[in-house]
Amino acid sequence: MDWTALSLSLKLAAATVALLLPLGLWLGRWIARTPARWKIWVEAAMLLPLVLPPTVLGYYLLVGLGNASPLGQWAQQLFGVQLTFSFTGLLIASLVFNIPFALQPLQRAYENVPPSLHEAALVCGLSSWERFTRVDLPLVWPGIMSAAVMTFAHTLGEFGVVLMVGGSIPGETQTIAIAIYDRVQAFDTRGAHLMSLTLLLISLVAIAASLLASRRLGRPTRPAEAAP
Amino acid sequence: MSLQVRIDQTLPMRLSGSFQCAPGQLVALVGPSGAGKTSLLRGVAGLMKPQNARISVGTACWCDTGQRLFVPPQQRNVGLVFQDYALMPHMNALDNVALPLRGPQRLARAQEMLRRVGLTPEQMQRRPAQLSGGQQQRVAVARALVREPAVLLLDEPFSAVDQMNRQTLYALLAELREDIAVPMVLVTHDLNEARLLADELVVMAEGVVLQQGRADAIHRAPRNARVADIVGIANRFDGVWLGPDAHSPAGTGWLRWGAGNAALRLPVRDKGRIEPGQSVTWVVPGEALRLCDRSSAPASPDQALPLPVEVLTLRHLGDVWLLKLQGVSGPRASFQLMLTGPQARAYAPSESLTLCLDLARVHIMPIKTATGTLTAALGG
Repeated sequence: MDWTALSLSLKLAAATVALLLPLGLWLGRWIARTPARWKIWVEAAMLLPLVLPPTVLGYYLLVGLGNASPLGQWAQQLFGVQLTFSFTGLLIASLVFNIPFALQPLQRAYENVPPSLHEAALVCGLSSWERFTRVDLPLVWPGIMSAAVMTFAHTLGEFGVVLMVGGSIPGETQTIAIAIYDRVQAFDTRGAHLMSLTLLLISLVAIAASLLASRRLGRPTRPAEAAP
Repeated sequence: MSLQVRIDQTLPMRLSGSFQCAPGQLVALVGPSGAGKTSLLRGVAGLMKPQNARISVGTACWCDTGQRLFVPPQQRNVGLVFQDYALMPHMNALDNVALPLRGPQRLARAQEMLRRVGLTPEQMQRRPAQLSGGQQQRVAVARALVREPAVLLLDEPFSAVDQMNRQTLYALLAELREDIAVPMVLVTHDLNEARLLADELVVMAEGVVLQQGRADAIHRAPRNARVADIVGIANRFDGVWLGPDAHSPAGTGWLRWGAGNAALRLPVRDKGRIEPGQSVTWVVPGEALRLCDRSSAPASPDQALPLPVEVLTLRHLGDVWLLKLQGVSGPRASFQLMLTGPQARAYAPSESLTLCLDLARVHIMPIKTATGTLTAALGG
């Protein structure tokens, strides 16, 4: 069992969730509520990572973040950070390919909130922060759960993009998925099996939790007649 | 602190007209669905930003597009009862009502308000899903009133509750009204509800405010045929306004009813608003029609015009009889009559009767043209 790779994966997944949730909340709310027709293009762009081969995504990230790119040079000069084959680069890649997994559940959650509740909060005089904490957050909570779980599990399992952007540097970019690949290449089937099983169990629990959250989300918020 | 609303927009939907509502007064916006009633209400609440509008309450101006002024709904202090109540599903009744309140006394005030609308302490702890439709509505009303709003807006609040609950809620609203000294605006498509609850009606159609006034005044004198249609005036007839001549008494003119030999010339009040020769629609309120036995022709508007009729259909609706009659001479128009008291009896189909039409109650209006009447309606 490669504990370094597992902890790196967990660290990457946690950081991705922490950074992606606020963005997903903001963007999900915007898509759910804006009347702008061109939002369809934003939605489509945000779903791209779902259909593009990891190699395409990885290639563009490599080009975009590499030392020859403006972004890569800027990061190098300003912070002395290399964006490719480093944890920072891996995190950026992870953020990009996880957008649909974070955005979709949050957007659905916001779409499930009846517009009249938002309007009622406005008429009740709630500030935008109060509307977010007292109305939005409790109502989209299952969506947040679902987004966090899906993003976390998906980051643990991502292989292609990670390999393209990060390579396989132990302790820096070698995630558990890459470590499994290396184990198999080295004919260490026992190690590969142990790590694969761990990943499989984590993913299974995560998806079950996500389903549970979305079931709760799917429940009607207000049955018409309940009590006498 | 009366509410003054003037609005004029073409996009995204047509909405134009104006209305006023005094403190403590309840005005009902009525009209067919799609008339723009809810949109107008949303404009007052600030949930819709109109193209051109001026909305003010007392000295406070909430919207003046001429001055580029638009106060957002959070800062307007309106109480709005939504059609679907819009209660927060994750909060209990008490927290829902306390939502607009600030400060340490908020829960106590919410509790007091809920008690006034008739919820028990146990029901206050329930979430909306655990309350009946009628109870949810009471919570919605309590939330709208708890902050002592500058205006109370009700968007078809009774449409989702059954008839029995509706009656008790009418009573509740009537009771609460005694303590509310702010303008109240009710949106409804139910005319009976509007007449029952409101001091004044604002009649709307196709996004345009057609007439504002007391229900009986609108019934007596609808501004045009569309208004007569919307408020359900059954006895509506076509004619031509001939105007006064040498034989007509002062202040009266002639209305030609029907065509050719069958036409009648009726002496009716002349308000000097219609050009002679113009085609008109005219109405009489229900109480201006009664069964009688006279047969002399009237000479002045103070008299009743006897019309020979026969019974078309007769329907028994509880305590009243709905009688449909057909004229057998003259313009051969059909009439609708509600009978109560001694006149109410089972008339036989085709039975011959005499109907007296009180000419003093005849109200004449121009036939609605696309814009002409509208401008007149808005201008007046």
